[in-house]
Amino acid sequence: MRTIRIVKRRIHSLLHRSGADAELQREIEIHIQQLTNEAVAAGMTEAEARAMALRGFGPIDQIKEKCRDTRRVSWIHDFVQDLRYGVRMLRKSPAFTAIAVITLALGIGANTAIFSIVDAVLLRSLPYRDPNQLVLMFDVPLNRPDELSGISYRDFTECRAQNRVFSQMAGNTFHDLTLTRAGEPAIVNTADVTPEIFPLLNAKPLLGRTLLPEDGKPGAAAVAVMSENLWRSRFGSNPGLIGQSIALDMRSFTVVGILPASFRYPEGAPRQDVWISVMQDPLFGPLTSEPGVRLLGVIGRLKPGVSLAKAQAEMNTLGARLAKEFAAEDSGLTIRIQPYRQAVVGNLKPALLILLSAVGLLLAIACANIANLLLAKATSRGREVAVRIALGASRARIVWQLLTESALLGLLGGVAGVLLAAWAVWSLQRFLPSEVVQISSIHVGGPVLVFALLLSLAAALAFGLAPALLATPSSLPTNLKEGGERTGQRGGQHVRSFLAIAEISLAMVLLVAGGLLIRSFALVTSVNPGFDPNNVTEGEVSLPQFQYSTPQQWTAFSTELLARLHAQPGFEDSALAAPLPMDRQGQATFAFSIVGNPPLPPGKSTTADYATVSPGYFHVMRIPLLRGRFFSEQDSPSNPRVAIVSETLARRYFPNQDPIGRQMRFGFPPNGNVSREIVGVVGDVRDVALSQKPGPMMYVPFAQAPLYGGEVVVRSSLSVSNVAASIRQAVHSIDKELPVTDVGSLPDMLGQSISRERFRTFLLGSFSAIALVLAAVGIFGVMSYSASQRTHEIGIRMALGAQRRDVLHLILGQGAKLALMGLAIGVVLAFLLTRLIASLLYSVSATDPLTFGAVAIVLFGVAMTACYIPARRAMRVDPMVALRYQ
Amino acid sequence: MPKPSDLLQGTVDLLILKTIARKPLHGWGIAKQIQTLSGDTLSVGQGSLYPALHRLENQGWICADWEESDLGRPAKVYSLTPEGRKQLERELKSWNRLSSAVHLLIQNA
Repeated sequence: MRTIRIVKRRIHSLLHRSGADAELQREIEIHIQQLTNEAVAAGMTEAEARAMALRGFGPIDQIKEKCRDTRRVSWIHDFVQDLRYGVRMLRKSPAFTAIAVITLALGIGANTAIFSIVDAVLLRSLPYRDPNQLVLMFDVPLNRPDELSGISYRDFTECRAQNRVFSQMAGNTFHDLTLTRAGEPAIVNTADVTPEIFPLLNAKPLLGRTLLPEDGKPGAAAVAVMSENLWRSRFGSNPGLIGQSIALDMRSFTVVGILPASFRYPEGAPRQDVWISVMQDPLFGPLTSEPGVRLLGVIGRLKPGVSLAKAQAEMNTLGARLAKEFAAEDSGLTIRIQPYRQAVVGNLKPALLILLSAVGLLLAIACANIANLLLAKATSRGREVAVRIALGASRARIVWQLLTESALLGLLGGVAGVLLAAWAVWSLQRFLPSEVVQISSIHVGGPVLVFALLLSLAAALAFGLAPALLATPSSLPTNLKEGGERTGQRGGQHVRSFLAIAEISLAMVLLVAGGLLIRSFALVTSVNPGFDPNNVTEGEVSLPQFQYSTPQQWTAFSTELLARLHAQPGFEDSALAAPLPMDRQGQATFAFSIVGNPPLPPGKSTTADYATVSPGYFHVMRIPLLRGRFFSEQDSPSNPRVAIVSETLARRYFPNQDPIGRQMRFGFPPNGNVSREIVGVVGDVRDVALSQKPGPMMYVPFAQAPLYGGEVVVRSSLSVSNVAASIRQAVHSIDKELPVTDVGSLPDMLGQSISRERFRTFLLGSFSAIALVLAAVGIFGVMSYSASQRTHEIGIRMALGAQRRDVLHLILGQGAKLALMGLAIGVVLAFLLTRLIASLLYSVSATDPLTFGAVAIVLFGVAMTACYIPARRAMRVDPMVALRYQ
Repeated sequence: MPKPSDLLQGTVDLLILKTIARKPLHGWGIAKQIQTLSGDTLSVGQGSLYPALHRLENQGWICADWEESDLGRPAKVYSLTPEGRKQLERELKSWNRLSSAVHLLIQNA
């Protein structure tokens, strides 16, 4: 009952505010009238009585305000009123509003954009059921737990059968197969899986079924599950496709089901077209019976309640058992598990956290800037505040009102920031390094918007609170006496100087980080990769292995192709190689031994990167010959096996010896464990990454170690598109069903290999540029304000004989003091913080003195330039005007 | 005439509730009544009377209506709600507890 009454009253007073106010006015009027009547009765005149009644009643407006405050809904009125007032204030000073909103939009926009990446990569839940139960498994050497590799099919089946901690376990690998008899031949990304993967990831087909356990047995009928995308684009969404057959690498597969486009494994893999049993894959199928080939990525789902530690302990036991039972392949190895998410995003996390900290600093600078602007404004609003306090407003009420204004500003900045972030995410999408894009789609969605909103309000509080408190001094009388002109001036000046120093030091941190990355990036891009990528075009050719199943066929195809390429007009030189440096699919590394050297102690091995190349390769890539000879047409399968080694391999494993004429053995191709004579030494090549020093490398002639495909490389001064067309024509003249993929210029491909470095350098570089501008604006604001406050003092100084030069020095000196203090703090902060980015740097120290020095000079120069304008203005002060003023 | 003593914080509510429990009254009447009934010892200033009235009304202890009054024109007349009556009893009890405790303290100290 009482509650209803209260609610009714609150609604009433909310809706009939003016009515309630009028009633209050009438009620008080009656009281005053009665007081007047009493006084008249006591013998006063009407006017005297009225005056005495008013005096006797007390401060009417304050009493009214107190009554209104009891309504409990008054805060809603207050809020609406504050908002209106705030909008009016912001509209009244459009320059201030624009600067504040733009500053804030930069800060919040940068944060929102980076957070949307963090959200997609680190926070968004994985699209699988109970994702925390998912772990990946790897073979690792006992003494090098970070050297992850796949698991052999035999070990996978052993683990699957013997473990007690996983409810399900599945293996997968990937292979590009050629889809024919369905329009143009096309490469389809094929996932070679064991059938458990579908129930394990809870994958439900759109049509038909997924793979059944019997589909994964050797000798089962060849069946395939197709992705919704391929089904729609190639087969016109025809439901009749189920039960029909398609040709993959010239072999028939019956389509048994369609998986929805949303299903991907790993999450967000670029594109998956077809899923088949690994047993049915032309390359990997036969390798499943090779226990030494670790071809499978393995994923497991932990049984409910099983901890990671328990699962790891179980796998340690299992690993030890396998190492004992199958010593030939598994000795010295164990099995390591990693939570799925950690395995997928682990290497992105540090870089993202660094970017997030960087934008955090940026926002702090932006807030400091706006706080400065608000302080200057608050000072000029001192009289207004004093009057309002005199009229009965409480201090809290005014602080609230000023904070409402800040919040309004914060929200405006937030909206602009979100728009900026949406634009940035959209336009940055194509610059994103491929791993980031693969993880998940990045967009400004729900959680990101909530983040932006909270951030805007937090920022508003951060930049609004101090000015609001400083603007409302607790002692009223002094305030009115000084005319309110100097409210909070003294405290304000300190806060302003502090903010300027903070801005400069934060900007210093960002600039140093950006500078280090830019230097590092410049060093990476100017590094000599060991070959000359200019004017080289590459393209990938992959032979369907059911049709081209023997090494003889591969050799025949490559010989034919090279002959046709050599005949192309305008091609300076061409060759075939697998893999190329910086290949997206990674490099092949194999163990080798040197014939005639004592055998290595157990557990130790010598490894080198491996490439199989046709004779022209070194000419096309302009890799220099240091000793001996290049490969020639004579190095055919029927002649003695030969190899060429890199300078590093020669130096490291043949110290003070001539490697030419020596023999080495390495186990690739499988079962090709024959000795090869070293016939040449060539220059080192950076093959893994531009930022990685070249390691030992060995080359074999393609004819003696053929593959079912490779990269065509052509050196030509013709345009890339002309070269690409000629390569396609040459390939199609041999077999018109062969696709040529990933055609492009080698410099472009190299550029892509450093997309990650470029991306973070670009981002941090932009953030530090923004920070520099904001810091400059900040110190400009502080110095302009301080100079204008000192007009009077400057006038006196000039009247007493100070020269303009002295005034300039006075103001510049004050600015220089602030800048130097900021720089000193900034150097210390940067020194402490840049070590966090040490892992991202290439051959630059995290405390690189050159970068620190250059940044300090630039920042100091910018700060002094920002001070120069107000200093010039102060210099032109006319002493007469300045003295008359105030 | 000695100045009526300032009221103990929190007793204003009790005095208002008690006063209008006898009969509904307007603000002026309540102020007069308190002063008269206390033998001019107590006075509630307008600065605390009206905010207190509005607060009690918003809390649902009292309600108000504009009625013809003895002042010769309509006035806002406050009366006790049933809940207000219970609240008055609670406040009286706690006042009695307090005053007897103070009384005891003064006697025995």
